[in-house]
Amino acid sequence: MSNDDNIPISPLEYKKVTEELYGRNLELARLYKQVDSLNHELGTANQNLQDSIKQRESLVHLVTHKVKGSFTRSKYIFAGILDGTFGEINEEVKKRAEQGLESDNMGIETVDLVLNADNLQKGAVKYDMKMINFKEMVLKTIEEKKGPAEAKGLKMEMDIKDGEKDNQYNVLGDSFWLKEVVNNLIENSIKYTKNGKITLGLENRNGKILMYVKDTGMGINPEDKKNLFTEGGRGKDSVRVNVDSTGYGLYSVKLIIEAHKGRVWAESEGLNKGSTFFIELPAA
Amino acid sequence: METILQIPIRIIKEQELVIGPLAWDEARKVPGLTIDQTHNSVSFSGDKKDAVNRLVAQYERLFGKASHEVCRESVQDLIAEMPPEEVPSSLR
Repeated sequence: MSNDDNIPISPLEYKKVTEELYGRNLELARLYKQVDSLNHELGTANQNLQDSIKQRESLVHLVTHKVKGSFTRSKYIFAGILDGTFGEINEEVKKRAEQGLESDNMGIETVDLVLNADNLQKGAVKYDMKMINFKEMVLKTIEEKKGPAEAKGLKMEMDIKDGEKDNQYNVLGDSFWLKEVVNNLIENSIKYTKNGKITLGLENRNGKILMYVKDTGMGINPEDKKNLFTEGGRGKDSVRVNVDSTGYGLYSVKLIIEAHKGRVWAESEGLNKGSTFFIELPAA
Repeated sequence: METILQIPIRIIKEQELVIGPLAWDEARKVPGLTIDQTHNSVSFSGDKKDAVNRLVAQYERLFGKASHEVCRESVQDLIAEMPPEEVPSSLR
């Protein structure tokens, strides 16, 4: 036995080297075992997590479908009362039936919001991507929302930058879901603004379409801002103003915008200082 | 299965983690032990405790005290179930 310089290695030295190598290998083997055990734990945790997600999804669907079914059935009863199916009714009954119908509609809307968020989250939504004029969509939505805003005494303003090209507001997207986004942001600003105005801005900034909804409402406290776009992320103060807040609206907005390769964020100086919600989409 | 029959395989597999396939080659050299690597089993001829002691010594002779410790640790749970007089002296 010899080393690289052809100097003979004594059996004692050879044994020493072998034992040293064994010691190093042993350390490696122990590390390997630790990693293997951690991997195993991770695998189990991952499996448990996947099971919980599946259970949760199935529970969400079961509950929401049952609840939606109940709302739909009572909606038709109230609608029947109002359209005379059950005979003539007096003013008091009419008033109550209208309230019931409105409440059912709100309930169905809420269930749909939760179901949509769930479908968006698990990727069950298939987007029908087409070239759309985002500006036209925004203008149409503003028109639809003017009534509810004015009924609350809120002023609605627009700040749309007109560029040289007609197609500067074209985006590749799913018109149904993008309309949901614009709807959601405007509806939120109406809900959370007691007085003042709502400004909707749109511009093409370096190939990116930026839309903002600015209001003079209750604003967002820094603590709530962190959870704004998370699942079920209702703000402490928002629940006081809007008891029907589900915490799924902005979460859906985020999922939809991200599926369109865009981004969404919010700014606020703080509580009672208004807020501005931005979405940015790549122009087509 | 008799507990002592599980000991050599447990030791060889633990040594395999450290030194690789050499662990099986060295075990095959131990008198009184017949190794069936395909089925992960061993058979003894003669005294079983002596054969296990020789297996532990085979590794220790080549790789030192650390390897003896590895043998001992690898069968802790098995020897805990055995009557003390049946435990090979090298593993006590």
